[in-house]
Amino acid sequence: MPDELDSNTIRIRMYRVGFGDCFLVSLPLTGDAGFRHILVDCGVHGKGNIGTMDEVVDNIGTITDKKLAIVIATHAHQDHISGFNPEKFGKFQIGEVWMPWTEDPKDAKAATLKKKHVALAAQLNDHFEAQAFSGARVSKSRAAAAAAVANLVANKTSLQALHSGFGVDARVRFLKAGDSLQSGDVPGLSLKVLGPPTDEKFLAKMDPPAGHSYLRLDGNRVESANQLRPFSSKWEIKPTDSDLQNLRLSEAERKRIKDEVASDSLDGLAFALDKAINNTSVVTLFAFRGQVLLFPGDAQYGNWEAWLQQSDAADILSSVTFLKVAHHGSVNATPKDALEQMSPGKFAAMVSTQSTPWPSIPRGPLMDRLKQQTKNKTIRSDSLAIKDIKAPKGPVVSKLPSGFVKGDFWYDYFIKL
Amino acid sequence: MSDNTKNDAPPERPLKAYAFDPSQGRNLGNYMTINVRNEALQPGPVGKYLVVIDYDASNDTYYEPVNLDDPAVLLRGGLDPSESDPRFHQQMTYAVASETIRRFEFALGRKAKWGFRGGRRTDPNRYRLRIFPHAMQEANAYYSRDLQGLVFGYFPASETDAGANLPGQTIFACLSHDIIVHETTHALIDGQRRFFMEPTGADTPAFHEGFADIVALFQHFSYKEALLEVIQKTGGLIYRLNVAPEVAPADGGPVIAPELSTENPLVQLARQFGEAMGMRAALRQALGTQPNSKDLEKLFEPHDRGAILVAAVFDAFFSVYVRKTRDLMRIAKAGGATVGPDDLHPDLANRLAKEAAKIAGQFANICIRALDYCPPIDILFGDFLRALITADYDLVPNDRYQYRAAFIEAFRLRGIRPQDVASYSEESLRWCPPEEMKGVTAPVCKGLDFDVFSLPTPAQQKRNAIILSLFGKNNAEALGLRPGIPVQAHSFHPLHRVAPDGGLRVEIVAELMQQTEVHLDPNDQQSEKFTFRGGTTIVLNREGQVRYAIQKSLGKDDDQNERLRRQREYYYAMDAISGLTTYLPPPPLDGRPMNFNLIHRGY
Repeated sequence: MPDELDSNTIRIRMYRVGFGDCFLVSLPLTGDAGFRHILVDCGVHGKGNIGTMDEVVDNIGTITDKKLAIVIATHAHQDHISGFNPEKFGKFQIGEVWMPWTEDPKDAKAATLKKKHVALAAQLNDHFEAQAFSGARVSKSRAAAAAAVANLVANKTSLQALHSGFGVDARVRFLKAGDSLQSGDVPGLSLKVLGPPTDEKFLAKMDPPAGHSYLRLDGNRVESANQLRPFSSKWEIKPTDSDLQNLRLSEAERKRIKDEVASDSLDGLAFALDKAINNTSVVTLFAFRGQVLLFPGDAQYGNWEAWLQQSDAADILSSVTFLKVAHHGSVNATPKDALEQMSPGKFAAMVSTQSTPWPSIPRGPLMDRLKQQTKNKTIRSDSLAIKDIKAPKGPVVSKLPSGFVKGDFWYDYFIKL
Repeated sequence: MSDNTKNDAPPERPLKAYAFDPSQGRNLGNYMTINVRNEALQPGPVGKYLVVIDYDASNDTYYEPVNLDDPAVLLRGGLDPSESDPRFHQQMTYAVASETIRRFEFALGRKAKWGFRGGRRTDPNRYRLRIFPHAMQEANAYYSRDLQGLVFGYFPASETDAGANLPGQTIFACLSHDIIVHETTHALIDGQRRFFMEPTGADTPAFHEGFADIVALFQHFSYKEALLEVIQKTGGLIYRLNVAPEVAPADGGPVIAPELSTENPLVQLARQFGEAMGMRAALRQALGTQPNSKDLEKLFEPHDRGAILVAAVFDAFFSVYVRKTRDLMRIAKAGGATVGPDDLHPDLANRLAKEAAKIAGQFANICIRALDYCPPIDILFGDFLRALITADYDLVPNDRYQYRAAFIEAFRLRGIRPQDVASYSEESLRWCPPEEMKGVTAPVCKGLDFDVFSLPTPAQQKRNAIILSLFGKNNAEALGLRPGIPVQAHSFHPLHRVAPDGGLRVEIVAELMQQTEVHLDPNDQQSEKFTFRGGTTIVLNREGQVRYAIQKSLGKDDDQNERLRRQREYYYAMDAISGLTTYLPPPPLDGRPMNFNLIHRGY
């Protein structure tokens, strides 16, 4: 098996960044004319950062000679774009920057949606942070929700850099399901965009639920957390009032009601919003000299569902030879239907994941099934120990499956053409 | 139910309510009076079944409870509709919920029962369903078994897209007639069929939602004024989604309000709430499009899927209505009238309204009665069709007006296929007695003790439970239960019904339940476990003979077990759709009742 780049080999490098994604795909040009590099995402979650990002970006610079044909930012989540540091990438030569159509400022639907998402995320974040600051006890659900929302904020710098083409004249493109592209700069590469879709039904799913308790979405903005008093104060009576007689609730019961009616609602909203953003992920299918590489970003069920219904879905899935596992191997990002339709043993899979900040990621049964479907050609980023770095440990791999090579803070997968 | 009232107390108590919700103003008979059964009330109101507790958790405050026995209130026939007076809200929730309970009791021929076990012993309201009309600032309403009650929210209408509401105006879920009926129905179903709240497949949560909508919709046809007005404006075609404008608009389109056509309030639900939330499009879609069998294969969200069931039932209802009123229309035409929206004779409109109300009442009864003929768990839409047919056949053997044929046709058109039946004929759809299924003699259950006139005492209940469990255990094979596994008897009650021929029917219905633990992945002994339930609903006649044994067998944990396979698939699919499970440890797959709180939020 090959373990270095040559004119007949594709290399896919998965960096271990913590909880995040950073994949570098290197494609050979014919006749020893060198390579073209595609960077798919570069980010890490603030609460799952193991501190390797600087070195990662430096390594990308070194091995690509600071030349990237395409940079793909699959969706606007911190754990996929926080590493796009304008200073560092401003020194690169970058051909194109690709983002989902939901990032397109000229698309009215996208702009409306985006405004809502951003405003809602900011509100939720403020709310959760204020709660954490007050020292109140934080439930497991709330902690998970707060981490999901943290992923949505503080992405401004990276997004600006991406939108401006890193200030190096990179061509910025916004992709939608159904696009197919030929990159002139990478001969032999053809691309099919499978997601995100643009139809109304899908859009409806992307809309965070409106009219929710304290946070209320209205058109393009979120209204502040005003407490509504539904009736004139003359109707309000004290718990001690004799009128209440048998209607009085005990302290414990009042608390129970408050918990039940108030708690899940904001967490649920946070999760719904997070899912909405994940579903804006660009899903790209690279076809290069007989190899078919699928990069679904963090697409969750809603995004997959749209193209799994297409007539060519089965053909596409059975032809896949490499899968970047979506959303760090979480429970609803790899539909069972999709995985079962891929050809057993024909493809390899990489999972960039770790159990911090969400212990339920990656999903055990999914990891097991992946191993079976790939005939063991699956690797998890958290199985890699990095010198001098303290990081959550995944299951130890005693012997790497064929085609995989371990690096200082990355795994390579080589495909012989 | 007048145990606490004096002999000369009137049987009914008039209470005012909105027929729809405040956004309809005084249009289309929106101000109505409900005559609820008179009972002794304390301020709240607190009655036999219900306690209205106006506690607002978002503001941590109580609102003054209404005293419906106050002479000033009594003289007016209840407080007048008002959005700003919480006491009217309490009155309306009490009145509408009471009316819904009465409907159920009438149809089932027995007292209503709640599905929760009752809280602290010291709580005087432990066996009452609690209604919280203003529990929270949130656009939601739901039934919660945990809170033993119905929880209603309030929220400000959208500033930019408020529909018929004022921007920013406070919308109250508890002022929507439909929402109150819908949530009360959830609570009532839970009292009859405890395990219907366990989501075992796409049909179970959808059934709960669809059924609650069916009851709410049929209620519309009992509002005489609203019904009459819609009949006038649709020329008797009450199933149309829109009602004609009062004046036909000129070529240039409508210019004044009476020229605008409006939506038919009879065939939509919770309009104000829906406009403020952008919800409920599914129902309109289901009732307003051509029936097809594709929707069942692609709609899985509980409300969307439930709407298919609603559409099927209403298709049957309207078919019968059209058939039964055709003669009236013909008579009107023979008299020289052109029957159309503008010129329906008031007498004709009255007769049509009477028919529509009567048929709607009958359909609601058939649907509610069918609950007793449903399997105890894991209900499919097809099972409900079989229950409808059997329940109705038992009461009205000859189907002169082809109610059952209408049901069958409407369900068939929507691709709802009952399992294990040879055809869509009435005969094969009816549940059959065990001897016809298994070729064994139907066992007889002796010694059950039910009193015709009063609820069984706890001692009687306990004894009956033991007898029924033993009966199930000893006749496991014949009843579709797995031998060697304990059998538990749940929800057993007598049914008393008066058939149209005047005869009194007394029967006993009971759920016999079994359970076992299985792995989510049958090939992986490490995978999560869940409780897999099986059971049989038995209907016994007065002599204790089994008339029906409606089965969802436990079966074996092997490849042949279709039901188990389906349940596993469903759990996998749920995992894939839910956004909540991504970041949290997966919740236990079973034993966790459906969370209406989340279902109603729509994710």
